[in-house]
Amino acid sequence: MGRRIEKSLRALFDRGRPHFEDKGRLSRLRPFYEATETFFLHPAIAPKNKPFVRDSLDLKRYMSIVLIALMSPLLFGIYNAGFHARNASGLSTDFATVFGDGLLIVLPIIIVSYAVGLFWEGLFAAIRRHPVSEGFLVTGLLFPLTLPPTIPLWQVAAGITFGVVIGKEIFGGTGRNLFNPALTARAFIFFAYPVQMSGDAVWIAVRESVENGINAVSGATPLALAALADPTERIEAVFANNGYAFQTLFFGNHIGSIGETSTLCILAGALILLITGIASYRIMAGAFIGAIAIGAMFNALASPDLPAWFSVNPFYHLVTGGFAFGVVYMATDPVTAPGTDKSKWIYGFLIGAIAVMVRVINPAFPEGVMLAILFMNIFSPLMEYTETRIRIRRRIPNV
Amino acid sequence: MKTLSIKKGLPLSVAGAPAPKIEKGPAVSSVAFLPEILPAIKPRLLVKNGDTVKIGTPLFKDKNNPDVLFLSPGGGTVTEILYGHRRAISRIVIQTGRTEDHERFDPVDKEQLAAMDRKEIISVLMARGLWGFIRNLPYRTIPAADETPASIWVSLDPSDPFQVPSGVYLKGNESLFAFGIRALECLGAPVFVCESLGSEVSHEAVAPLVTHRVSGTYPAEDPGVLLYHTKTSPRENHAWFISGQDVLMLAEGLSTGRYPTERIVSVSAPAGRYMKTRLGAPLASLLSGEAAGENRRWIMGGLFRGRSVPKDGYLGLTETSLLIALDAGDPELFGFLRPGLKKPTASRTFLYALHKKPFAPLADMHGEERACINCGKCQAICPVDIMVPFAYKSIYAGEIEDALAHGLLDCVVCGLCSFVCPAKIELAETFESTRHAYHQDRI
Repeated sequence: MGRRIEKSLRALFDRGRPHFEDKGRLSRLRPFYEATETFFLHPAIAPKNKPFVRDSLDLKRYMSIVLIALMSPLLFGIYNAGFHARNASGLSTDFATVFGDGLLIVLPIIIVSYAVGLFWEGLFAAIRRHPVSEGFLVTGLLFPLTLPPTIPLWQVAAGITFGVVIGKEIFGGTGRNLFNPALTARAFIFFAYPVQMSGDAVWIAVRESVENGINAVSGATPLALAALADPTERIEAVFANNGYAFQTLFFGNHIGSIGETSTLCILAGALILLITGIASYRIMAGAFIGAIAIGAMFNALASPDLPAWFSVNPFYHLVTGGFAFGVVYMATDPVTAPGTDKSKWIYGFLIGAIAVMVRVINPAFPEGVMLAILFMNIFSPLMEYTETRIRIRRRIPNV
Repeated sequence: MKTLSIKKGLPLSVAGAPAPKIEKGPAVSSVAFLPEILPAIKPRLLVKNGDTVKIGTPLFKDKNNPDVLFLSPGGGTVTEILYGHRRAISRIVIQTGRTEDHERFDPVDKEQLAAMDRKEIISVLMARGLWGFIRNLPYRTIPAADETPASIWVSLDPSDPFQVPSGVYLKGNESLFAFGIRALECLGAPVFVCESLGSEVSHEAVAPLVTHRVSGTYPAEDPGVLLYHTKTSPRENHAWFISGQDVLMLAEGLSTGRYPTERIVSVSAPAGRYMKTRLGAPLASLLSGEAAGENRRWIMGGLFRGRSVPKDGYLGLTETSLLIALDAGDPELFGFLRPGLKKPTASRTFLYALHKKPFAPLADMHGEERACINCGKCQAICPVDIMVPFAYKSIYAGEIEDALAHGLLDCVVCGLCSFVCPAKIELAETFESTRHAYHQDRI
């Protein structure tokens, strides 16, 4: 069966290929053709240079593992978006209908992100005559998961366009970008259209009836509550009174951006990334330590004159907002993180620390992970440079 | 004895390891010399088509270093001088006669050796075609006479799958080997002999000569790796090395006064074995049947740093390993999504990582070339601690000085960075060709 499909697919692609070759009438679209062909039929290419054997791992596999690791937050995010939509509308919340409604909310966002992003990716690939990079499959899914479920689709299109073109392609494409493209896309939407990205009205995609389409109702996220909490209150109590007990925050059945709410599902993804060695444990552990350390430091400074965030148990920082999602999937992007081992620890530590710092002492931004990662992205070349210089100095020169 | 433990290296093993038994190869009717594969040699021919030669008759000399002669591995008639790319001489074929004559040199015994000074021994080695077995570091070319190495390395057990281990080639030749080491000692630098953990030498003629013991996987025993992990100052960067089996060649050439021709070669298919054959033997004489057939890639000189050879090729001067890999097959439906129980990888991204059984070599890239994403797999495996992505990007940007600072000349071209790279970038090839260009610039 598999063999027969393989054969007929090969015949199909063989028939199509001449049109996309140099003199074919569709030669401009060759990157699309090649991306499609190699997606179905993984190419077998003889090595031209030694060594004549190569590892089975390639970038397709590499990126698919990230996609697999994203499945748990994605599926939970779909369910969660559907649940809150139906719950707020007073509709039944049995699993099937909730998941179905969740799909209706989330899928269009993902489809727009992929379609528009792929258009730009393909355009640059065609102009620069290089193959379409698999990294985009990750960017195209990461971005929607950082958005609120009510995001207008045209903003998704604008965001991914900015992310791919400004965040990546103008720097020279995959591997040369300074900023994580998915986060760049999110930052663009965050600052350009704050009304649709923050506040209390964007987190629940209410489906009152099919005819009326999607409307929004109010609901405050844990971070919004925390930013407004009175200094005399304990954040833990504020959370608990509003239905955000620690376990709720950990399991993720609360409002927020599509993929960020369930720390448990994100940990499942992190486990996949760490077991396969695709993401750096140094960065993740560094960020964990950084957040806890700075959180504990704020605990020590806490006083009734300072915001209530100062006194929160630092572990709450790990389960609220996009912290876990950002650290596991965004901070570990190898292109924008430093490529040297010690720098990865520092980079991770500072991301954790800055994210907590922004949350606690900057009232303008209830969430700081996105800013922390983008900020550290800027510094990663400098950190790399410093560490490589130090290591070179330790080498016995050989010139 | 110093012990070294090299932590980084190939974490996999390869199927087809030879059984420790030597077979006698068939008699051959032609042998060849391959000037093309000698590093940085510009041959000037000393014979022409149709000439009659003996074993040990000079075939050509090096234009840059005219004292260095390369001798005929067979006696008979020169029947083919084949030119390759840019008129480099790719091979000189000699049809061997029924009886082969030897050129006679004066045998050198222990006392004569002890009386020789550096200059004399060098000129003897050069004139008798034995100099070509010695290589230098960092460029891995045949040394010039005026080079002064800080050390001379002999590694007993090369670990690139599959080379001939000391247990096979040393057996019965121990005192000859000791004589060879004595000859190397006359070259005016300390001679370091390194054995591998697990195949220590116990023979009383050789054991006292061993100075280092190394543990680790390929390429832990490479002279470049050993030097990198033992050197304490830049003065030691310049060294020479010679393989254990070539020490025997050198010793035999000196002590008998005849050009040595006997070679033990490992052949990985159909079942791994060692074969006694001769220098410059046609490869087809080593292998026949299905293993020699279609869809096979013949790799000469080790799995990771060997060259791809045609089936009508010949054994090179220092080559002792023929490995047969399957050619890349057909494209695979959703190949990148398979569980991959049988997909060999040094990473943990396929189920293969759970058992890591020896893998059968397959000449396949397993993917297409992409831009570097800085994943760091290359620098994690590099046995000489080069920060590969940064060194590579320095070369890419034309900053050779930066690449040198990163340790370009420490690179042993083990090929592991190219092997593990998920973006399928030709890292080892880039390093080697850059270093070659840098070397050419300097001379």
